[in-house]
This record gives sequence, C-alpha cells and structure tokens, in this order.
Amino acid sequence: MIERTVTITNRLGLHARAAARLVRRAAQYTSTVHLVREDTGVQADGKSILSVLLLAAARGTRLTIRADGEDEMRAATELVELVEQGFGEEISDGVF
Amino acid sequence: MASSNNSASRDLKLQGIAASPGIALATVLRLDERGRHQFYYIDVSSAQVRREVRRLNDALDEARSQLKNIKVRLDEELGYEHSYILDAHLLMLEDKRLLAEIEHEITSRRVNAEWAVRSVMDRAISIYKQVEDAYLRERTSDLEDIATRLLTILSGHDQFNLSKLDQDVVIVAKNIWPSTVAELDFKHVLGFATTSGGLTSHSAIIARALGIPAVVGVTDLTRRARTGNQILIDGSSGEVILRPSKAVVRLYLKRREEEEKRTHKTRVTGSPGAAAEESTTLDGVQITLRANVELPGEIASLRRFGARGIGLYRSEFMFLNRLPDLPSEQEQYELYRSLAEASGEDGANIRVFDLGGDKLSLPGFEAEQNPALGLRAIRLSLISENIFKTQLRAILRANAAGRLRVVFPLISTINELREVKKIIAEVKSELTEAGVEHNGSLPMGVMIEVPAAALMVDLFARESDFLSIGTNDLIQYLLAVDRANGNVAHLYQPLHPAVLRTINWLSRAAREARVPIELCGEMAADPIQAIVLIGLGIRTLSLAPPSIPLVKRAVRSIECKAVASLMKDALKLGTATEVEDLLKRELPRQAPRFFSAPAMG
Repeated sequence: MIERTVTITNRLGLHARAAARLVRRAAQYTSTVHLVREDTGVQADGKSILSVLLLAAARGTRLTIRADGEDEMRAATELVELVEQGFGEEISDGVF
Repeated sequence: MASSNNSASRDLKLQGIAASPGIALATVLRLDERGRHQFYYIDVSSAQVRREVRRLNDALDEARSQLKNIKVRLDEELGYEHSYILDAHLLMLEDKRLLAEIEHEITSRRVNAEWAVRSVMDRAISIYKQVEDAYLRERTSDLEDIATRLLTILSGHDQFNLSKLDQDVVIVAKNIWPSTVAELDFKHVLGFATTSGGLTSHSAIIARALGIPAVVGVTDLTRRARTGNQILIDGSSGEVILRPSKAVVRLYLKRREEEEKRTHKTRVTGSPGAAAEESTTLDGVQITLRANVELPGEIASLRRFGARGIGLYRSEFMFLNRLPDLPSEQEQYELYRSLAEASGEDGANIRVFDLGGDKLSLPGFEAEQNPALGLRAIRLSLISENIFKTQLRAILRANAAGRLRVVFPLISTINELREVKKIIAEVKSELTEAGVEHNGSLPMGVMIEVPAAALMVDLFARESDFLSIGTNDLIQYLLAVDRANGNVAHLYQPLHPAVLRTINWLSRAAREARVPIELCGEMAADPIQAIVLIGLGIRTLSLAPPSIPLVKRAVRSIECKAVASLMKDALKLGTATEVEDLLKRELPRQAPRFFSAPAMG
C-alpha cells in the first residue's frame, strides 16, 4: 500500500468534470484507489464518481491518495500528477 | 354534435407565460412519467432473483447505449458544449458501487429491479441533498434523470423513444430536461408546455432557438393533461387549451392562418429569395436585421433567415448546463472563431458572460435578496479577473479570423467601462509579448440596460465604439417590473411612453455623437414594435433568426418618414394603451400591405 498527499489546486475543486477525469484514470489501474479528506477523514472510492463527488473537495482541500495493489506505485504517482496539474483544466487553456 | 357528451371536459383553458411565439395544435405527449415513474414493489422468489438481476443489467446496457447515442446526436445538432452533462450521466451508470448496491438490493431483499433502482437512487439522492455544497445538491437532478431512464427502460415503454415519433405532438412536462431535448424528433415536436420555468428557462430558450411555440409556467397542467389528449398552445399569448372543441380549434386555426398569410412569402424559410431580399423601407431607408444567437446549432440558420451577422451572442448560454465549470480558453476560442467565420464581413457582437454570482458557486458568495440588482454581469466579470481575462483572450485570438466586437452588459458607470478597457489593454499586451496571434482592433460597445447608463449616454458615446440597447433589461429596470412575476407582469409594457422616450433619447444622442447604435431584445422581434423602433430612429435591430423574415416584411411595407412622424405623436401620449390605440389606428393605413388581414391582437 502506498499513500501520497496532495492539495486540490484547480479553481472549481473536485466538481463533475475533474471528478470524471480522476475516476476514468483510476479505473485504469488494477490497484484499489481511495481518497481521504485530511480535515474530515471522509473517505471515497476513487473508482466511483458518486463517491468522489461526495467528498465535496473544494480548492485548497488536502487529500490523501491511497493505492493498494500491483500497480500501486504508478497509480499513486500518476494520480498525484493529475491533481497537481489541475486535472488538465489549465493545460487545455492554450498557451497560458 | 357527436361529441357533446364530452363537453364538460372540453376547452379547459389554462394561462401560462408566453415563452416562444406561434400556435400549435397536436396530441399531448406527457413526459413527466420519466420523472415520476410508476413503479411497483414485487416480492420475487429466489429463482426469479436471477431474472431480475439480468433485467437490471440489460436495462443498464440499454441506458448506456441510449446515452451514447444521444451524446453523438447532441454533439452534431447543438454542439459539444451540451453533451458535457451526459458524460457525467454515463459515468454514474458505470459506477460500480452504485450498481453493486442496486444488485444487492435485489438479491438480499428479493425485490423486483424497479423497486431496487428506485430505493437505491432515492437513498443516493437523499445523501446528496444533505451536502452543504449547492453545486452537489444540484447533481440530484442528474441522479433523478438516470433513475427515470432506467425505470422507463425496465417498464418497456417504447413510446418514449422520442427520436422516432410517428405523430405530431406537443410535449407536456414539468420541465424539459437537457437530455430529453437532445432526444427530441424536431420534425414531430410542434411545441412545449411546461408547468415550471420562466422566460429564461432551458425549455424556453430551446423553443425559441428552434422556432417552435412554447408556453411555460402553466400551473396544474401536468395534473390535467393526459398523453393522447388534444392540446392547443398559443406561445404568443401564453394560452393553453386542453381538449379544444371544434369551434375553438377553428378560431385558433384561423388566427394562425391569418398570421401565416401575413408572413406568407417569408415563412418559406428555405427560399433564398426571401432571405436575399433587401431590408429597406418604402422610402429607401436601410434597416439592418441581425441575429441573436444562443446555441451553436443556430449559426447554420443565419444565412437561411437572411441575418446580417450576429448582433448579440449571449456567450453564457452555451455553458449554462455545466456551471459552475466554465469552458477553457481553447474551447471558447473555437466557438468564437466559428462565430467569426459564420458571420463573415457582417461580423458578430459577443456579449461577455452575463451571469449571476450564484451560478459560479463563488467562494463566500451568499444568496442575494435581489439578484437582478446584485452581483452579476460586468460587476462579476470585474471581480473575477481570471475568468474575464480568459474570455477576452479567447475573443481577441478568435478575432484574427473575422470581425468580432465585444459588448459589456449591465454597465452603470463610466468607471466600469474604463476598468474594462484597462483589462483589455493588459490582455492585448500579454498576448503580444507571448507572440500569440490575435487581432487587437476589437471594437467595444456598452449595453444600455440600466437607466443610469441611458441618462449618461452622451458621455458613454464618447468612450465606446458603439452602443447596444438591451430592451429586455432596460424595460425591467425602467418600469421596475419583473415580467416573469405573474402579479405584476401586466405592468411590463414595452410601449410605455417612458420606454419610447428613453429609446428616442438614446438614438438621438448616438446620432449626435456619430456613434453606431444597435438594439437587441424581444421588442425587435415583434413586427409592430420593430416599426415603433424604426420610427424612433433605430436602424439596426438584432432578433431571433426565425423572427427575421416577418420583421423584414414589416420593414418593407412602411415608409420611414411616416412612422417617424407617427412616433412624434406617440411620444406625447400618457399610457401604453394610448400608444397601442394610435398604432392600431394608423399603421394599417400606413402599411396596408402588411396589415391587410385583421391587424393586431
């Protein structure tokens, strides 16, 4: 099992679009993926959009990403990267 | 009379809000069954449990493939912005936890699939309803949409395959849902009648975009209308008549025929002849008719209706479905670019986001007592600089492909205009520094909607490239009337002399300052009111594309000089009724060709 902590940085937090990106990515790993809110301890299944949405994680929320399984290292690293990049929101924003 | 025994239930007249003009007579198709689907609790034997699980899985497959098909159609017909919500729906239908829970409900409680779906979805919905986040609470409508889709499939009702209707219908529902609109077979859907919603509701907007009649806010309608009933709706008066008698049908069909006779030549919308006709008065004054555009699907209709470019692009409309998420710069750029390309030499006016703070879930934003007077439109843009700058960057970049102009809504002081200009200058120099292709010569216009701006118009004219009168809001603020409020809707009077005097003042000030002035708003789409506006000196009108042919016909049948002198008299009158009486008396004489049939209602 591997754990990494990240801060949600994109403007809208884990709303539908970002949650969808995260869930689609998490589904690619064989490992289980869980997200835990650092402040409230509320836990979500990273492969369930309904569960992830219920975290209601706004910008600034600290989350622990917990992956457990064969590809746990890759899962944790790539998911942290996704969150840190603001779920690609800014990337698709052209040159800036 | 063969049907006299039914007469008690005939001609049930209900009043709603007129949301999109025209008269439709067809069969009711009730859609609320999707929302309040009938379902039954059935105890099943252990052998049947497996059958119920299979039914559930089949229904899930079917629902997913329906959604995928809708998404494809929606992308094609209305543009990809609308399909966003369907992505979330699809992911929910793939949500393993949710599916496992429904299956568990079937096997552990030995109930039918319908009952399991309903109870698990209800639990999920109640959890979401307790969340503090307003955005998440709204996701319950997505869950409800999924639940009803599943229940519909489970009950095997084929009649809700909306894309394959075999008869003409008027849709009767509480609301027209985003995913439902996408499914509609527009050939057979003649109109909408809904119990909720106002003029800016999704149903009303779509109906206007499609050019089909709609009445919204009809209390009690879903309780009284049954699928298969005959229904008549008048989207100009807001009347809905259930099970109309032959006499009433005759009356309305006659009214429609008269309307169609008036617009005869131009209604043939496919005819390039009508679209190519000059929009010139009898005495040779050119009136420019431009298009109001809300949905990408409408861009294609510009040429068909003979619009001279886009006078008002309501940039926020395309994204209402997915708020508070806003589109990326690239996505906006592509849209604005398609507007620039479609409008060509005639150009397009892009109104920057006209949203309220509630829509964006701003941190710390509290519900306002009086949103019409609150933090919205340019006031919001000026404090959300990132959102604003992203939009401006996209517009400046897209402007390299055509002739775009930008318009700012709800400006009330010159300071706001100056601040906006400062931000635009910043964005331009950032783009230049970064070496990004753009066209910096972007004309800037002020929407005149607030009485304060109207009174200061001479000063605004000095600092803007053009002016645009937004009559819908201007009338609301001038007369202090919310027309969606049934208690005071009768006080919303576009022909109120105060409105006419204000428009007259604006057009004179613009002329003196030699600054172009345009007008958008529903007044421009009403041929009589359009004539009034021309008489007041307005030469450029922007309106919903389907209304252009009728207004053009009115333009071609009047003499500009004569209506100008008629309006001089109107400006001295005391009430809207007196103005109307004057118009009723004089216009048929002045423009017999247009008013030949029984003239005004």
